[in-house]
Amino acid sequence: MNAHISQKQLAEQHLLEATKEFQKCMQCGKCRSVCPVFKEFGNELFVARGKNKIAQKLVSGDLQITKRVEQAINECLNCKTCSANCPAGVKPENVVLRMRWYITTQRGLHFFKALIFRQLLWRKWPITLGCAIVGIAQKVLFGIGPKNPVRHLFPLFGFSKRRNFPQLAIRSAQSMLPEVSPAKNGPRKARIGYFTGCAGNLIYTNVAKSVVDILTGYGYEVVIPKAQKCNGTPVLANGDYEGAKRLMVHNFELFQKYDLDAIVVACSSCGMSLKKEIKVFIDDSPELQEFTSKVFDINEFIEKNLEIKPEQLSRLPYKVTYHDPCHMVRGQGIKDQPRNLLKMIPGVEFTEMKNADTCCGSAGSYCITHYDTSIKINNHKIKDIQEANVNMVATGCPTCVMHIADNLAQHNSHEKTRFVVELLADSMRAAGTI
Amino acid sequence: MKKSIIDELVSIFGQENVLTEREDMIAYSYDAAPVEIEPEAVVFPTTTEQVSKLMKMAYREEIPVTPRGQGSGLSGGSIPLKKGIVLSMDKMKKMIEFDPNNRLITVEAGFTTSDIDPIVSEANLFYPPDPGSVAFSTIGGNVAENAGGLRGLKYGVTKNYVKMLKVVLPQGDIVTVGSKCVKHVAGFNSELIFVGSEGLLGIMTEVTLALLPIPQHRESALAIFNSLDSAAQAVSDIIAAGVTPSTMEFMDNATINAVQNFKDCGLPRDAEAVLLIETDGEMNSAKWEMSVIEEQVKKNDIREFQRAQNTAERDALFAGRRVALNALASVKPNLILEDATVKRSVLPDMVRGITAIAKKHNVQVGIFGHAGDGNLHPTFLIDQSDKEEMARCHKAVDELFQLAIDLDGTISGEHGIGLEKKPYLKNQIGDAGIKMLQDMKRMFDPKNLLNPGKMFDMPGEAA
Repeated sequence: MNAHISQKQLAEQHLLEATKEFQKCMQCGKCRSVCPVFKEFGNELFVARGKNKIAQKLVSGDLQITKRVEQAINECLNCKTCSANCPAGVKPENVVLRMRWYITTQRGLHFFKALIFRQLLWRKWPITLGCAIVGIAQKVLFGIGPKNPVRHLFPLFGFSKRRNFPQLAIRSAQSMLPEVSPAKNGPRKARIGYFTGCAGNLIYTNVAKSVVDILTGYGYEVVIPKAQKCNGTPVLANGDYEGAKRLMVHNFELFQKYDLDAIVVACSSCGMSLKKEIKVFIDDSPELQEFTSKVFDINEFIEKNLEIKPEQLSRLPYKVTYHDPCHMVRGQGIKDQPRNLLKMIPGVEFTEMKNADTCCGSAGSYCITHYDTSIKINNHKIKDIQEANVNMVATGCPTCVMHIADNLAQHNSHEKTRFVVELLADSMRAAGTI
Repeated sequence: MKKSIIDELVSIFGQENVLTEREDMIAYSYDAAPVEIEPEAVVFPTTTEQVSKLMKMAYREEIPVTPRGQGSGLSGGSIPLKKGIVLSMDKMKKMIEFDPNNRLITVEAGFTTSDIDPIVSEANLFYPPDPGSVAFSTIGGNVAENAGGLRGLKYGVTKNYVKMLKVVLPQGDIVTVGSKCVKHVAGFNSELIFVGSEGLLGIMTEVTLALLPIPQHRESALAIFNSLDSAAQAVSDIIAAGVTPSTMEFMDNATINAVQNFKDCGLPRDAEAVLLIETDGEMNSAKWEMSVIEEQVKKNDIREFQRAQNTAERDALFAGRRVALNALASVKPNLILEDATVKRSVLPDMVRGITAIAKKHNVQVGIFGHAGDGNLHPTFLIDQSDKEEMARCHKAVDELFQLAIDLDGTISGEHGIGLEKKPYLKNQIGDAGIKMLQDMKRMFDPKNLLNPGKMFDMPGEAA
């Protein structure tokens, strides 16, 4: 591993990798017809072809890093829609990420970002404690209804006043659940590591509980290494290559110690990063190949390995549609598995919504830094959900859930937002299976 | 650009529709051709009146204006050669009127071409021209370049569907040319002057297009040939038998291999050529036409003739052609896609000639395209960072154009002249031809401010 690489070498490496990517661009303009961000702005500067050209000019020295350059480079959801549709096989999100990392080598990391990515996420306990305090405040002192005056404090923390927040965990999933949960109902089939992700640990703890209950109920031993940290997605997306690398190396080394047969995740971005993005940060080796080949999204793992019999599921009276998270459908190629699981549940009436695989605009921290645009993009999603005539949207990504639920509430729309794995667990619990 | 001019632009278009920052100028300095020139301002009109005001100002202040759609043109037609103002039409994208009784649709110039069919198919109509960029190019750009597509042999090209245009002339006058009537002879046939004018004579803001009923039935087949000549002879035989296929797509051996390397589409690597053929129309007639085609094709040195029995089989047959350009693009870092076109009777001479030229200059080439209308896409596979290879490729392209001219063909079937083919136009149409174009340009645009320097130079201008 390039432990002592200088900033200059790092900068050159980023420029080289970006060049390899953008020089494949034929400039045909097809990305203009698919990019969700371009659809809102209508300015070539914010579409993949324009960003490729800006990157090319930065590399050639014909353009310096300016505010407008940073704005162009930061207006990207990493939704991979342009990649999936590019006739020349360009992956523009890789140009964007490399340029963000390059800009950091030239401009340094913003103080707040450095504090969050290199101190708080790394130490972990301040984040867990912070969530618990906010969680208690949410429960005890005030609700977060639209008329609550506390909303006026949101901008202090970089959040829009309009935003609706999910309840944060007073007790994190990692503190509630044991490090090792033994297999139930017969002999152990395999030993599974569970990477909870920050959202599964600190917000959607019911998802974490559902994962553990389902897997142990079907004969798997589940290990949640307590020293696991953020997978690095928000860190790398915000320009901090080195911070992301430190987290990736940490998790890679940690999970190797547990002698696991597989590693499951219930977050689309965590899954994509542990399967794929990690290869950008850690040099290829047999150990890395073994590690990445062991990682499965929970939907993928359950659909492939669990023999779920009809009598093990109880009826759930929901009309459901499914939203494809970008990092699931394009990031990992997982499209049918979650749908198959939903259709398996008796009573669930499944309707495919229009444009199920278009980005919902949340894009992790993009919806914090670019809230207005992210809501405009999400408005298309809300329309498609409403037209599907359902009472529930199921998906497999925490930030999609958060963003869609927020905007549904702003539209006074009645649809609930849930994870597929939660619904499956509900159905199994009601049937007494787990 | 002077601040007073920018202020005037803002007063015409509004602050949010005027760009002047350097980074934005970079983003509007190119299209799908490998040339870059940064403009000084970019404006996004939303009404015809704004375009008219802009041109009046441009004429008063003598500022060049370059119109643009989605910037997907392959000949450099929307590059602001003389800087000045880029007029980006892509926010004028409303559907104005759909008139199923008269089989017409009227849209603003920035309307995306493939967005027409979902609207008109409800009345069982369709818009036939389908250029490769149909999913993202604008109808204004299609009209300005007289775009073609896969169905040219049977259905013609954009010019066959343009009924009426609202045009802002270079000095700001707004005219409506053509008519919604099937027959009209009031005045010159002036709407066609603007079709293929590449933005030199006026700015189209509204376009009325003719539509056709959707064919009831479609038959598809794939023919695999052992020799190039037999494929070309089969094309001639089919036409001679009185059949007009809606599609007749060609791929050569190099393209077949690129496709197979990219994705297994079941094409034999040693085949010299394949033809993808479709007939459409009333069911019995489409089936009969296909059986005539089968008969004619089998007279030649053919290895296999597969007829699709259903949509899935049809999709499988077309899989290779659909990924052809992607496959060629993956061979080398860059490619140059040409569109020299010949009469279909000399297609084999053209294919052999291109192959010989590529060999002579040691550049890789893949040939695919529309065999029925003689519009081939010789695609040179190159690495732009390799200057020496680029020089060889340019020589090959020069010879390719001359070959097309020598075969009584044309240097451009559907991409336009723009900047890329400007040096070659004189070879095809001669001095008198160029002078006629110059005279027409001067009549419309005496100060040469609308998309100047494209297609041909005005007298006295540096080549």
